[in-house]
Amino acid sequence: MSNAIDQTRRMLSLVTYLRERPGAEVAEVARAFGITERQLINDLNVLPMCGTSFRGGDLLDIDTDGERIWWHNADDVAQPLRLAADEATALLVAARAVAGLPGLRERDRQALTRAVAKIEDAAGESAESSARVGVTFEAEGQVFADIDRAIGEGRLIWLRYWSHGRGGMTEREVDPIRLVTEGHTYLEGWCRTSEDRRVFRLDRIAEIKILDEPADPPRLEPRDLSAGLVNPAADDPQVVVEVGPGGRWVAEYYTHDAAEELPDGGLRITLRSADPAGLRPLALRLGRDGRIVSPPELAEQARGAALAALEHYREGRA
Amino acid sequence: MAIAKAERLMNLALCLMNTRRPLSKKELRESIEAYREAWQQGSEDAFNRMFERDKDDLRELGLVIDVDENALDGEIGYLARRDRNRLPEIALDAEEAAALSVAARVWQQAKMSGAASGALQKLRAAGVPFGEDAEPSALQPLIPAREAAFEPLLVAARDRRPVSFEYRKAGAAATEQRSVEPWALECWRGHWYLAGWDRDRRDARVFRLSRITGKVRSRAGSFTGAVPEHVDVRAVVASFAGEGATATATVRLRKGAGFPLRTKALSTRQLDGGWDELEIPYGNGLGADLAEFGPDLVVLAPEELRADVIDRLLAVAGLNGLDEAGAHA
Repeated sequence: MSNAIDQTRRMLSLVTYLRERPGAEVAEVARAFGITERQLINDLNVLPMCGTSFRGGDLLDIDTDGERIWWHNADDVAQPLRLAADEATALLVAARAVAGLPGLRERDRQALTRAVAKIEDAAGESAESSARVGVTFEAEGQVFADIDRAIGEGRLIWLRYWSHGRGGMTEREVDPIRLVTEGHTYLEGWCRTSEDRRVFRLDRIAEIKILDEPADPPRLEPRDLSAGLVNPAADDPQVVVEVGPGGRWVAEYYTHDAAEELPDGGLRITLRSADPAGLRPLALRLGRDGRIVSPPELAEQARGAALAALEHYREGRA
Repeated sequence: MAIAKAERLMNLALCLMNTRRPLSKKELRESIEAYREAWQQGSEDAFNRMFERDKDDLRELGLVIDVDENALDGEIGYLARRDRNRLPEIALDAEEAAALSVAARVWQQAKMSGAASGALQKLRAAGVPFGEDAEPSALQPLIPAREAAFEPLLVAARDRRPVSFEYRKAGAAATEQRSVEPWALECWRGHWYLAGWDRDRRDARVFRLSRITGKVRSRAGSFTGAVPEHVDVRAVVASFAGEGATATATVRLRKGAGFPLRTKALSTRQLDGGWDELEIPYGNGLGADLAEFGPDLVVLAPEELRADVIDRLLAVAGLNGLDEAGAHA
């Protein structure tokens, strides 16, 4: 992410940082600023063009041999800068949200709470608008704490897990990898039962045991979660759902390939699912707000389930 | 080749921070090569527009730029006073710094994630002892903001500027224009909501960002009404979502089925023949939730909930009435 704003922001901090550290190592500075060495070298190429007057020659005399960085005329141009409102908001909103996560270790929570208070102090009026943004993370505190402990101790866990798509309880052994929170909290792990990487929603874990056996998840590439937690595979079966205006929410809740506007204000949504049968609850939920177009088996299953359910009501009335 | 924007911004910042008297536009144009170029090769206008945009950008980055008269010639000048731009002393211990650096990584939205890392960089430059990026942590909180309306509304709420946008109410076939004074944004269960004053409806309203279509437009002027001391977006949204209900419903649930209902049941009574009877909170949207359980659940009361679920099931079964159901079972 090297747009001009972020780069300027970074260079302003960089000069303050370098002033205190003559001969700083390129590799170390890049790590400290969370950028690649290439990005840092790029910044270091720009800085000698900067100063208080290009005509008077008051430019920053910063140079590098690719390994270390030297600033030959370091003076007091560089003081630590106050936080901008967006910077204070980004930091404070995130820190408050994490501090409110049920099940977080008490020590971490206290450290965060202290940090928030100090940042609020240092940010002054920049912190004011941070109260206008809030984020809530939800988790089942006890389950969260158990999984956190299992990850910390590197142990296998056993779950009794509610499979919502299948409408039943399952038992699984899982090598825990990490806890991911995005609104709800999920356990990401290697499911030994299905021999695949899976995410489990904490509020659907009915029972958890930390086993004595050590966890041994296969080496997996860390997943990019920016597009959402559930990323269907390219070869997963396709599901087409047509919804009316009342069913447009489907497009917000399900990662989909296409959502085509329909003349009545509805949508034709195309998505992929590793297990289309697991969408039966969705099909039943939609009622008059939509229908499964394909696969036909899914539509038929939903219809069968609805008929069986209606039978209870018919009997009840008789 | 035109001089890169970052270089130009950096030069402007350094000039403004290192002067003790206000610098006029003319002086800045003389000192900063990019401006000189814009002025010589473009026009006075081109330079002026560029300068105004750059000042705004630096202010976004937190720089306080004062506009003062130059004592010498009375011309308007600009400066970024040191005392107003210095970060106050801040002492974080290693534990606090580590906790903060986890929090700074949670934003999945470009503007906020840039701002969060910018904040860490400033703190690091000020001497806060952040460790180097550790191995992936066991906990990864994420704040998504995929809604296009997020960024403009964030800025509008920050600056207390009214906005207007096209909005599609839940279940509505068409969108309508809304004119809003944005108070606060809240992310709940991964979705963003806006609370504010709806100017046309003359009332406080909550909007779901994903239902905003098209551009969020900034309106001239300022807020017309007072902003409430405390805006509880979450409580409003949660009640839409059926939380905090005071009414109750009674359902029959097959044993082993409906775990999510069991966790929120107020009471559970065993029945014969492999069924349980549950009393559950009855809030918004419960009918749709219950329909999901298909033949594993029967609504006993209240009657309107029972009718709602039957209606949903009939729609899925493609039937017009309960009487038809028997023939197909």
